Amino acid sequence: MTAAQIFAVVIFVAMFVLIVLDKIERHFVTLGCGALTLTVVFGICMRSGSAIWDTIAIKGFATKEFWYQVTESESKGINWATILFIAGMMVMVEGMAKAGFFRWLCMKIAFLVKCKTIPIFITFMVMSAVLSMFIDSITVIMFLAAVTIELAQLLKFNPVPMILSEIFCANLGGSATMCGDPPNIIVGTSLGFSFFDFLTNTGLVAGICLVVSVIFFYIVFHKEIAGGTDKPVDISKLPQPSEAITNKKDFIISSIIFGLAVVLLITHATTHLTVATIGLAIAVLTLITSGKDALELIKKVDYKTLLFFIGLFVVVGGLEETGILKLIADFIGRISDGNVKLMIAIILWVSAIASAFVDNIPFAATMVPIIQSLSASAGVPIETLAWALSLGTDIGGSATPIGASANVVGTSVAAKNGHPISWGRYCKKLAPATVIVLAISTVYLFARYL
Amino acid sequence: MAQLIISVGREFGSGGRVIAEELAKRFNIPIYDRHLITEIAEKTGLSPEEIEKYNEKPKHIIISRKVRGYSNSIEDNIAEMQFNFIREKAESGESFVVVGRCSESKLKNFSGLVSVFILGDMDAKIQRVMKIYEMDEHDAREFIEKKDKKRKRYHNYHVGLHWGDSRLYDLSINSSRLGIEGTIDYLEQYIKARAALEESK
Repeated sequence: MTAAQIFAVVIFVAMFVLIVLDKIERHFVTLGCGALTLTVVFGICMRSGSAIWDTIAIKGFATKEFWYQVTESESKGINWATILFIAGMMVMVEGMAKAGFFRWLCMKIAFLVKCKTIPIFITFMVMSAVLSMFIDSITVIMFLAAVTIELAQLLKFNPVPMILSEIFCANLGGSATMCGDPPNIIVGTSLGFSFFDFLTNTGLVAGICLVVSVIFFYIVFHKEIAGGTDKPVDISKLPQPSEAITNKKDFIISSIIFGLAVVLLITHATTHLTVATIGLAIAVLTLITSGKDALELIKKVDYKTLLFFIGLFVVVGGLEETGILKLIADFIGRISDGNVKLMIAIILWVSAIASAFVDNIPFAATMVPIIQSLSASAGVPIETLAWALSLGTDIGGSATPIGASANVVGTSVAAKNGHPISWGRYCKKLAPATVIVLAISTVYLFARYL
Repeated sequence: MAQLIISVGREFGSGGRVIAEELAKRFNIPIYDRHLITEIAEKTGLSPEEIEKYNEKPKHIIISRKVRGYSNSIEDNIAEMQFNFIREKAESGESFVVVGRCSESKLKNFSGLVSVFILGDMDAKIQRVMKIYEMDEHDAREFIEKKDKKRKRYHNYHVGLHWGDSRLYDLSINSSRLGIEGTIDYLEQYIKARAALEESK
């Protein structure tokens, strides 16, 4: 191994350890490790200005393809399209939340099913999955879990099974589209896939898995949830959905912008607008229509996550430029010995197991160049490996309370309201559900792509 | 009377809790220690035993994760609830004594705060723990070390500053020097002087 490779690996491992230890905020960790990669790996060891330039990838902004893409292309280094898209969606989501959109939607659905616990349980699972196809799962669970607890207090049922099911379905829904989960955005923008590519590939299996998951959770949880009040509920005495709307005008505008974002995403393969353009357009539109509240929305954007992404892409760029990821790809190629089934199974299950314990975003960012290299050397279509990676990272994260952001937020909201969820309680039902969904995904990948 | 918040940090076996209880009696103000657990239990619907299980304990690093201020760690969430509780009490203008819970740092912006840290000689602490918990010397030492290690990790994690560092407290006092009663008397005088100063502002 060369000095550059050794330093790239050491920096990457140190970054992962520091993220897990949680002593330093994770954006400082990735930015610090990114700076080390640029100076030590690229500057001192490789003496390569072009490696630094390629990894920073700032010149991409000036290209037409960054904003308007007729032919699909792959990207390297800092994935600015991902960052811009996530930032744009963050602004939009803040606008929607401020107008009371999410709380209204949750309450509206609860009222549509007449506030009956089992129908709420089922519709909230479906809503969690559908919303997570377009909006980050953290926001979805933040609102859904809070409303679930509120309804649980009013209707006297245990909210924990419902929150657990919502978390699982949010992660599952996220796997269905390109913008559903950060690993998918990274996979999609890095490898040049469209929203529709995801929907017709991972989306199809996610839909099948959602049906299975709803049945599974109904079987394991319905007794616990149905144990609410036997008395008929007078829904006129409950807080009405309209009370959730803080400002009617803002509510209508934010709903229209959300609808527009969905349309732009679904049609972006036809309009050739990249996700970066869509993210920017949605953010600008939200800010213009929010008037004097624009500054407040900008302040609420989670800059730490965006900075985390920037540092992360640089560190992964270090592994890529030094050839480490190619070595890993060759290793996977060797152990699978040209057996494509084994290769897919390894990517899906290793991604799932890793994502159950470590952040799936750095994992996916690391794996993208690996599957690119593996595809080139083993002659396996990149699409097949990409869907295996997306499904593995998105679904695997559901298995433990720390596997995905939605799990952390959901369990935290529950605990803060007097319903702590231990690892045992969480894994007892969600780990088997994860295994079932992964097994379905394995069969699906084998049947459809081999 | 101006608001008075007495924050008592303590080493295990130093008599800190007894000192805090007596100070609460002498100043005729409520104390939040075990009572804090009961109040949070009532508020959340959790049992006091459940809260006790995670009380003043550091989270398990490997099995915990934080996302945008949300944590899956039950220890973290219980701690946060307790911090919010004492903060709300302080904001309401109430006077009280609070034991531990990083209160010297969490409430440092309240002008009525008097923060003390009670330490003790190891031998004296062992004798006290042996008597109260009916343990032999070896077990008592191990028990003290284990408890203090947890308190230290809990404090340092939530505050980022060193537990027991004299710079964090208005006063650090070794209860083995004056004895428990003597320490209480001394602290009472000090707190009265501080309260008078606060009153005159």
